[in-house]
Formats: sequence, C-alpha cells, structure tokens
Amino acid sequence: MTAFVTLAGVYSTSNFGAERSRDQDLMTTSRALDQFLSSVEKRAFKIAQLGLRNDDDALDAVQDSMMKLVQSYASRDAAEWRPLFYRILANRIRDMQRRRTVRGRIMAWLPAREDEEESDPIAEAPSHDPGPAKRLELDEAIGVLEIAVAELPPRQQEAFLLRNLEGLDVSETASAMGCSEGSVKTHYFRALANLRARLGEVF
Amino acid sequence: MTEDFEKRTQEVLEESAGRLDGRTRSRLTQARHAALAQLAQPERHWWRAYIPAGAAAAVAVLAVVIWSGGPLGPSPTGPVASPVDDLELLADVEAQDFVDDGEDLEFYEWAAGEAES
Repeated sequence: MTAFVTLAGVYSTSNFGAERSRDQDLMTTSRALDQFLSSVEKRAFKIAQLGLRNDDDALDAVQDSMMKLVQSYASRDAAEWRPLFYRILANRIRDMQRRRTVRGRIMAWLPAREDEEESDPIAEAPSHDPGPAKRLELDEAIGVLEIAVAELPPRQQEAFLLRNLEGLDVSETASAMGCSEGSVKTHYFRALANLRARLGEVF
Repeated sequence: MTEDFEKRTQEVLEESAGRLDGRTRSRLTQARHAALAQLAQPERHWWRAYIPAGAAAAVAVLAVVIWSGGPLGPSPTGPVASPVDDLELLADVEAQDFVDDGEDLEFYEWAAGEAES
C-alpha cells in the first residue's frame, strides 16, 4: 500500500512537471507568435487591401491567415513563420480575387439593387486637419502609389509588395508566392518598370 | 536611380501602413487575439469527428449480419430465434444489465432448457 502511494505520488509529481513544462512551452510559443503577428499585421493588411481593394475583405484575409498559421504552423521554427504566413495570405488573397470574379460574372446577370452600398456622409467628409506641407505631399504620394500598385497584374503586385513593403528576400518571396526565384525576379522587375513608367514624374 | 525609386516607394508604403485608422488597428488586434486563443484550446484529433459515423456503420453491419443469420448461418439444431428477437435482445438495456450482473448464467440456461423439455 505504501509502495502504491509512493508510486502514485511520483507519477503525479512527474505528470504535474510535464504539464507545467507544456504550459510554459505554450506560453513561450504564444508570446513569440503574438510578437510575430503584431510585427507583420499592418503591412499584411496593406498588402491585402491593395490586392482586394476592400478593407473588410482585407481584414478577413489577414485574420484567416493568422488563424491558419497558428493552427497549422505554431510548432514550426519561428524563422519559418514569415514566408509561411505570407504564403497563406497570398493564397487567401488569390482565392478571394477568384471568388469575386465569379461572383461578378453572376451578378452581371442579375438586376442591380438600388438600396445597396449606402454611403456614410461622415466617413466621406473631407478632413479639415490642414497638416504640414510635407504631410500633404506624402498623402498625395500614398494615394498615387497605391492606385498604381493596386492596378498591377496580381503576380507583379504580390512580388512587389512582398519584396518592397515586407522586405522579404528573393528566396523568401519565392517560397511565399509558390514559384521559382527566377519568376520572382521577373515579376518584380516588371512591376518596377510598370510603376516607374506610371509614377516617374511624381516620384 | 532604380534603387532611389525602390527606396522612395518603400518609404511611402511604410508610411501608409503606419497610418491605419484606429478601427482597423483594433480589428487587427482582435484578429490576432482570436488566432492565439486557438493555442489554449485542447488539441482536437481529426479522427474523433468520425466516431459517431463509425459507430453507426458498425451497428448497421451488425444488424445485417444478424438479419442474415450470422456468418455461420442458422444453427441446425435447437430453437431458431428470429432476427428481430436478437435485435430486441441487443437493444434491451435491462437484459444487458441482467447478463452483466448475473454470475449464475449457467443456472438460467439450465432452467430454460428444463422448462422447454
């Protein structure tokens, strides 16, 4: 009986130890993921926003990508998270673009609804904050660049944003886009050429 | 020249990403927390989702086997119970308890034999 109690005690202590260690691992992973996701979320949103041209869709795409990364790749090495996350995001954006194209084709057959998309006068009101001249100049640059980037062909846009905004290297971009490094270089070069041809005077 | 252009576009895009409004930033934070909350949930095994379907399939197979007289066919001697009786016996929870609890199963079998003769 005493031996049994001792054995049970040893088992429960070791079990408790294992559980505690697992909790600590979980906490460390959670903290690292939190740090990683907060470091990329704004740029990820910008990439999704330019790809989808809709804030709500962009937020959905970023949230889905975060969920998928945590669900499937939390146990991977932290150095792999960035290309994995952007690969998930790129796929998600492509899916949503495809779905939207199909929906657009279907909707073209349906009669238009007049009550759709009611505008919000407050959201659309011009800002009265004058701001410094520099800020105005930057505002203009942002507007012009974002329009030009949004109008790039999808693969060029992906390559440009992942390389230029997110700062991924060629190999990470290739991994995120699911293509060869040569393709990344071609897409990126063409994107730059397109943007320069369009923005040369402004930039 | 190209590097200047790249640098300029990078600065502009960075500035734009840093200027997100409060609502968007708040929704991104919520999305991050929702994603991280998954870590705290217990691990789910994909095969557990198939347990009810597997159990139903097993019951169906059992029913078919019993209905068709079992893999060895009906016993040539002794009383032949109808398949419906077998199913009723299997489904009868009280009968199961009776069998589980009773240690004198042989006595009941003997008594049943006596009653028939």
